[in-house]
Amino acid sequence: MAHSETELTISEAYERDNDRALKFLKPRFHEEKFPMTQILGYIGSLILTFAAYFLVINRVLPSIALLAVILTLAVMQGALQLGVFMHVREGRGLAWQLIPLYLVFLIALGMVGMSVWIMLFKSGVS
Amino acid sequence: MSSVPLAEERDQKLPVEFADEKESINITGFWTFLVTDVLIFASLFSTYAVMHKAAALGPTSVQLFKMGPVMLETLLLLTSSFTIGLGVYAMRRGQVRALMLWMVLTMLLGAGFVSSEINDFISFAHIGATWHTSAFLSAFDILVGTHGAHVTFGIFWALTLLFQLKKRGITARTARKVYTFSLYWHFLDIVWIFIFTFVYLNGKIVP
Amino acid sequence: MPAFIVHLIHTLFPKTVLFPDILLIDLGLVVGGIGLFIFMTKTHRWGWLWREWLTTVDHKRIAVLYLIAAIVMLFRGGIDAEMIRAQLALPGTHFMPAIQYDEVFTTHGTIMIFFMGMPFIFALFNAVVPLMIGARDVAFPRINAMSYWLFACGAILFNISFIIGGSPDAGWTAYPPYTGLAFNPGPGENYYFLALIIAGIGTTMTGINFLVTTVRMRAPGMTLMRMPLFIWSAMVTSALVLFAFPPLTVALAMSLFDRLFGSSFFTLGHGGMPMMYVNLFWLFGHPEVYILVIPLFGVFSEVVATFSKKQLFGYPIMVASILAIMFLSYGTWVHHFFTMGAGPGVNVFFGLSTMLIAIPTGVKIFNWIFTMWGGRIQFTVAMLYQLAFIPTFVIGGATGVMLAAVPADYQFHNSYFVIAHFHNVIIGGTLFGLLSGLYYWWPKMFGSKLNEKQGRVAFWLFFIGFWVTFSPQYLLGLKGMTRRLYTYPAGLGWHELNVISTVGALIMGAGFVALVFNIVWTLVYGERDLTGDPWDGRTLEWSLPSPVPEYNFARVPVVHARDAWWDMKQKGQSLAQLSPEDVHDIEMPRNTPVPFLLGVAFFVVGFALTFKWWPIAGIGLAGVFAIIIFSGFDYEDHHHLKAEVVRKTEASLGRLQG
Repeated sequence: MAHSETELTISEAYERDNDRALKFLKPRFHEEKFPMTQILGYIGSLILTFAAYFLVINRVLPSIALLAVILTLAVMQGALQLGVFMHVREGRGLAWQLIPLYLVFLIALGMVGMSVWIMLFKSGVS
Repeated sequence: MSSVPLAEERDQKLPVEFADEKESINITGFWTFLVTDVLIFASLFSTYAVMHKAAALGPTSVQLFKMGPVMLETLLLLTSSFTIGLGVYAMRRGQVRALMLWMVLTMLLGAGFVSSEINDFISFAHIGATWHTSAFLSAFDILVGTHGAHVTFGIFWALTLLFQLKKRGITARTARKVYTFSLYWHFLDIVWIFIFTFVYLNGKIVP
Repeated sequence: MPAFIVHLIHTLFPKTVLFPDILLIDLGLVVGGIGLFIFMTKTHRWGWLWREWLTTVDHKRIAVLYLIAAIVMLFRGGIDAEMIRAQLALPGTHFMPAIQYDEVFTTHGTIMIFFMGMPFIFALFNAVVPLMIGARDVAFPRINAMSYWLFACGAILFNISFIIGGSPDAGWTAYPPYTGLAFNPGPGENYYFLALIIAGIGTTMTGINFLVTTVRMRAPGMTLMRMPLFIWSAMVTSALVLFAFPPLTVALAMSLFDRLFGSSFFTLGHGGMPMMYVNLFWLFGHPEVYILVIPLFGVFSEVVATFSKKQLFGYPIMVASILAIMFLSYGTWVHHFFTMGAGPGVNVFFGLSTMLIAIPTGVKIFNWIFTMWGGRIQFTVAMLYQLAFIPTFVIGGATGVMLAAVPADYQFHNSYFVIAHFHNVIIGGTLFGLLSGLYYWWPKMFGSKLNEKQGRVAFWLFFIGFWVTFSPQYLLGLKGMTRRLYTYPAGLGWHELNVISTVGALIMGAGFVALVFNIVWTLVYGERDLTGDPWDGRTLEWSLPSPVPEYNFARVPVVHARDAWWDMKQKGQSLAQLSPEDVHDIEMPRNTPVPFLLGVAFFVVGFALTFKWWPIAGIGLAGVFAIIIFSGFDYEDHHHLKAEVVRKTEASLGRLQG
């Protein structure tokens, strides 16, 4: 059984999946003759990193705004790594990993943000 | 190029690491593991965010952090993420020697990263900034240390994969293992970017 | 005697483990252990134990292992509960010393949640999930066995604390600074942290395993909206495990580092923040209560449909509400520490989000009632637990909404009202659900029905005992009795209610005895079920013979509807009539000692770290890594079951044509 399945193409695997109705999980593969995407991704990641570094070293903005900007750059960098290097939309049948990934980013953000909010102790009564 | 018919492009074969149903299930499983690891780091980041200002009698982040080594570490890790990306690219074209070469390079860059980090920690210890000193240093050490431990583990993992590749070449199973290793490595790169931004750069912003 | 041996004996057996009752248990364990050893050797069963159980990767056997562990732990936790009630029955009692009382309420809570509730749930998952989705095993059989042995290692580590070194005594939540080295120097809390970290790693792996199993391993045709609700609940529970256990692991590890390696996370000096532990703990803790109850929502959904002879009412809404509960459960954790004083904004947010959860839960209650409406209800024991669950859980939920009101919570906090509330939902939801599932799936696991008459006796004892125990506790809470109280003076008006509560606890104890009698009686005298489908079930596990052969499905079924097996029966189809050419070679996971050895290695690490024996801990850790590396190089982890063997097995079960 496993042997006959080794020759599946991407779309055959998708057509066989029980849940192909979930169109947003349809996998996308990206193949190139020359690893141009990887090289551009690497250059992009370096640019994002050094941009954040110089923004902080030269203190171009007030503290809170600066933190917001460099965190945005970090999120962009994370998305770049996921998209370019981690092939996040690939999968056999469906790219199931997208659902837990969306969820976990939401939860991780909530966890850090809410923990800071909770631990500020802005209470008048305690 | 232009001579390739569109239909054939749509009907690409699955890459080797997805070719076997069981192996592809392992990839889904590894993504799920990464999800738990994201939350391990999220918990550590929460702790750091809360304890950042709790420097007690020890040094604060502004006094402590030196950006030189940190930039070097960032550069090493970003480059290693690139090399393992090229490794997977080579693997999909069946080039086992190129893959092994890229993996060795990745390991070396990773080792450079870890040694620079250990050096940092030793220099902190010399000025008495251990994790006993303050909650801030505890949170900092455990966050950065957990990441460093992950990288170290990754280097040894890559080593075992090299032996397996040497013995068995690129099969559905070894390819899946390399692929999951690459996911792990890129994931550590993302975590480092957030440590770099949220810990080191943020630690240099004076309110 | 050399000095270090004296020192060793003082370390391992301090005064707190030398109470007469514990010495008696020591004696019993030693005698029992020697007896077991002689029995196993005389009957030559060590090889059998190793081959069939310790190295197994079969999900059905792992389910049995989980079940045994859960019932043993139910006994241990139950004894703890009876001891607490004995201590509190009368004012001014000194049934046991205060230190032992602290240990007993700590181990009671921890064991019931981590070492009884969760393994019982995983027993049901392992027993049923692959069968229900038409799979031959879980996604990662070897990791499944590792999960079990890590859990077992954690459970043993936790349980030996009361005979070696001393039990943890800081409550099941283990808040700092009670657990700090300055206030709690013994090894007890080390046991707690290490046992829960190790068991937690196992649980996380189970979560990964069942999430991937339910997502990727379903039989052809079983789309998401054709999954039985138990599968939905397994999927959602696994997701909750994934998202909830990391913060717990981190919080426990930090506390452990504070104790062992001198870090300053939750200490009182050096800028440490004890409340951050509480924050992280409940980030885990609130999803955890849904981990404990959502699987049982799944069980009830199966039980109610089967014994009402109707399709589950409002299936899509049931799915939506289970998902809504999953999302909402992440946004409510602060309601466990409103009184910390995080501020009105925070408290209002979390109070409202807590109340919001009552809505999807209420939706589910109505759907179960509507499923019964107009059905032909069979009052089997499994169904009785379902019927008892609905009112019990509604009252538990309603008192939960009371607790969510922040100003009221400032009064209720840490009182017996809270104790009564969470026992109401955890016994009414989790325990009743687990027992319902046990009676429902017992024939599938062991091939005979649990005796219904005896089951009814156990049910009524549990049900009545529960209400007699816990309704007085609501009143005690309102009268100001606080939790974890060692003893109280007469004249506060608590006396009578406490006596009633203790009587109830004894009735529940009798219920446990009846349950065990029922199980043992059935194992010895039970009538074999030859149909494989004793309840006229609706889902795929009932299409198989009981007990299920090693490979589950000789031919993987194709699913055309929700309640797949019911649909097949309506159309006159059957999986039982198999033609020989439908059977092919089957790839099965191979048994392996790796998971068991990994558990042993982790046990060595845990035990050595508890007593700070660094070199031994290092050896254990090296063992862990060696086993993992060995496992990575092991490519022979499966074997092919020949079609001929499968045909022979199916023919012997009368399921093969010709």
